Amino acid sequence: MNRLIVKLTSVMTLAAAVTFPIPSVAASEWPADTVKLIVPYSPGGTTDIVSRKVADLLKEELGNVVVENRPGAGSTVATGQLARGGRDADHTILMASPGHAIGAAIYPGLRYDPVEDFRFIRNVISIPNVMVVPASSAYNSLAEFVEAARNGEVTFSSPGVGSSVHMSGELFKTMTGANMIHVPFRGSGEALPALLAGDVDVAFENMPTVLPHIKSGKLKALAVTTTKRSPFLPDVPTVAEAGSDFGLAGYKTSAWFGLITHKSMPDDAVLKLRTSVADVMAGESFKSFLPQLGAEPGEEDGEVFRTFVAEEVVKWDGVAQQANVKK
Amino acid sequence: MENFSEVLSIFLSVDNFIAIAAGVLIGVVVGAIPGLTATMAVALALPFTFSMEPVTAILLLVGIYKGGMYGGSITAILIRTPGSPASACTLLDGYPLAQQGHAKKALKAALYSSCVADVISNVALIFFAAYLAKIALNFGPPEYFWLICFSLTIIISISGDSIVKGLIAAGLGIIVSNIGLDAVYGSQRLTFDNYNLMDRISFVPLLIGLFAIPEIIEFYTSKVVPHVRSAVSGASLTLAECKRSLKSVIRGSLIGVIIGAIPGTGATAAAFISYSEAKRNSPNKHNFGKGEVEGVAAAEAGNNGVAGATLIPLLSLGIPGDVITAIILGAFMIHGLTPGPVLFQENLSLVYALFCGILLSSVVLLVVGNAAIRYFSLIADIPKAILLPIVLMFCVYGAYAVNNSTFDIGLMMVFGLLGFVFNRTGIAAAPFLIGFILGPMFEDNLRRTLLISKGDPLVFFRGPIAWFFIALTVASLLFAVRRYWKSRKVPATA
Amino acid sequence: MKQTDINHSEYHGRVNPNSMLGAALVILACIFIFYLVPQYIEVSGMVKNPMMSPRFLPLLAGWMVLLCSLILLVNGLLWPPKHTEAEAFHAGIPKLRWVLMLAAGAVYTMLFEQLGAITSGVIATFMLFLAHHLRHFSIYLLALLFPVVVSLLFIYLLNVPLPAGMLWE
Repeated sequence: MNRLIVKLTSVMTLAAAVTFPIPSVAASEWPADTVKLIVPYSPGGTTDIVSRKVADLLKEELGNVVVENRPGAGSTVATGQLARGGRDADHTILMASPGHAIGAAIYPGLRYDPVEDFRFIRNVISIPNVMVVPASSAYNSLAEFVEAARNGEVTFSSPGVGSSVHMSGELFKTMTGANMIHVPFRGSGEALPALLAGDVDVAFENMPTVLPHIKSGKLKALAVTTTKRSPFLPDVPTVAEAGSDFGLAGYKTSAWFGLITHKSMPDDAVLKLRTSVADVMAGESFKSFLPQLGAEPGEEDGEVFRTFVAEEVVKWDGVAQQANVKK
Repeated sequence: MENFSEVLSIFLSVDNFIAIAAGVLIGVVVGAIPGLTATMAVALALPFTFSMEPVTAILLLVGIYKGGMYGGSITAILIRTPGSPASACTLLDGYPLAQQGHAKKALKAALYSSCVADVISNVALIFFAAYLAKIALNFGPPEYFWLICFSLTIIISISGDSIVKGLIAAGLGIIVSNIGLDAVYGSQRLTFDNYNLMDRISFVPLLIGLFAIPEIIEFYTSKVVPHVRSAVSGASLTLAECKRSLKSVIRGSLIGVIIGAIPGTGATAAAFISYSEAKRNSPNKHNFGKGEVEGVAAAEAGNNGVAGATLIPLLSLGIPGDVITAIILGAFMIHGLTPGPVLFQENLSLVYALFCGILLSSVVLLVVGNAAIRYFSLIADIPKAILLPIVLMFCVYGAYAVNNSTFDIGLMMVFGLLGFVFNRTGIAAAPFLIGFILGPMFEDNLRRTLLISKGDPLVFFRGPIAWFFIALTVASLLFAVRRYWKSRKVPATA
Repeated sequence: MKQTDINHSEYHGRVNPNSMLGAALVILACIFIFYLVPQYIEVSGMVKNPMMSPRFLPLLAGWMVLLCSLILLVNGLLWPPKHTEAEAFHAGIPKLRWVLMLAAGAVYTMLFEQLGAITSGVIATFMLFLAHHLRHFSIYLLALLFPVVVSLLFIYLLNVPLPAGMLWE
């Protein structure tokens, strides 16, 4: 789309709007057509639920927004398709998550660059992970845990290889030099019972998955993985805080969900998207949605979001190599 | 109960009734379309529930779930195309029945046993949730491992005429299930660097390919037979058949309840276990696989028994047992409710209103299902020459729709050819499916057990649940050996 | 597979479906065990317990298939199975019939994205109707009607985005 024509038409419509008070100017303004929000995972996961809520809220700003699930190879099949562009590329946005960066680190032969091939709209939602142990566990603090894990062997569970829960554990392992064995499950629904029953020693699970069990006393929260304490668990220290003596000072992970587009997305569309997302995030229904996921609004916007993702890619690439998760 | 009136005030609203009816109807129709699973329908319906009352929202989703469980069996019986994975077992006897002109009988058997199982499952949910949830929590990797071992023994009873061929099919199924990234090390297994193979092979294309496509190929590679116009209406279910199947239905429902209460095993396994137990105990065991009403009833009881019971770990522990309950969990959270013990303390009235709705949904299923049978059974009247091309079209669209990927269409065709070869060489497809489903579970739980054992093999034998399933496995194998010897001795043919 | 005329008795000869199937599977299983597994399943150095290896289950399944197909092969050679009625049923099918079926399958498999859901549906359904020599013109209208209605149903009612066809866009 030629930018000059866009400007010209917008000037003309403006003129027309002034002369003839027609209520709608939407025709010339992006999107003017249905916007597709791609979810790179199957229906039912956190990414799916978050995306459907965001799409629902974005409808007020952008007209029709449809959600499309394109699962496959982590999130890399859908992301690869987006990177290739194609006819709908200027009306397609994708809900990226840690899998975007981790996928780039662990899946071989990707034909796209996780940073260069995209434009970054905004990080919408950020969900901390929580380091939890079963209520029956002997460890009552992060320090006790690391001491024990350095001298013996402990197991940590995750909903699957390459999930943010798994990689948070691997990062912890690399930074502390603890002897931690990864026990992969398929989904949190399988991983959680093993943790509750004490079959595994620790997990770095997503906040919404474990919060009710922390509240009911079945799990003990040792630390949260973000750099700030979570308002949902104000008494629980951050990993960096509690583990500064164990080499964990720079520890920082979270499950983030942010919108990205193909790199060819025109400037006016990106701008429109950014303002729309900002409007949605300022709205009441978005704010009341967050606490149910134990989530906080994402902070990174535009170029800052790009830098954030670039850092994630570098971080997880290092961890994946250390952990010997195959590329 | 003191707050009985509060429960009623939450439950008795027009919205709730509409939600249940609409949910079940959507579920039955979507479940019946090959490739479109109840999971997909629930996910699509989720955004519409954002603006509803919490109970209404959950009931809509639960309605779709239950409708979908039954809907899958309609096409499984009529056109050998399981609408959802769990109904693959239903077609083993349902399709032969339909071919013999007893489509209506099979559909009714499926519906009635679904409803009975549903009620049993709901009762278990309402009265024994706390107890069953405790069992579920005691199910660690070693217990799962033995449960899977026991489940694998059902290959013997669904192998058809030749156990050797059944084992070959199961082995091939396991091999196919291993394609993708390794679950522990993340290394590639048989992916040939094709990114479409990085995840496991998708279930739905495999399922449609294995069962529906061979029927189509078979039709175009056989002599033309004039279409016999069978009266679809056919005979309905007789009382004697109901009585005969009742035991299997109840047994199947209980199996479904237990499997459903344990997260991560699934309705497909429940259906097959129920079917194989029914076959083992039935006086008509030789008719199984050739069009036995009891087989249809047992399979459907198994998979519908799961539906209510998967809500047990969800409501009492906040643990979703499968993808659908994960979406329902999402719906709870979006409405600011957290399933788990807290829900029972803080929102007891809401929970009971939900229970009322869930009980009602079984009745609605009966009504909607009966109506559906009337219209869907017309399919059996369409000549194959017209029906099959359209079935193929549905299969292609459905296979594509799962992941929005053309690769899956190709995959479906490949498994179609494999299924055709199986048909021609007398290999049963069901053991292949069982191998495909249980193979990864076997491996996962074996590895998990080894990982959590920290080198101590005794963890495999750590408790009564593990021993219970070890005993079942051994008994099941001994039973098979004994039957094999008997069948060898009686007819003198070598 | 058609050795029926050589041996008119009700039993197959030495070359029968079971022993041929067994032989084919033995070869395939060997290829799998001795070539595919070592070549395409890596084992990282971290694996301590052989049961933890990524090759453990594939090999277990592979050996099971090999063993069972050997049994099938030997069994087939020693005790040839009986002929079945179904075999006569498959003989002498007009070539056009199954060629058109294969063509329809190919259209779906290879041209679905290019032609779009509707067009490929129409073409393939048309071919299959033709394969059966359906005479009534009105039936061919069905081939046109069904794909259109079903696609629109999928796209607009069920929100499943079927491809519209790259050739026309």
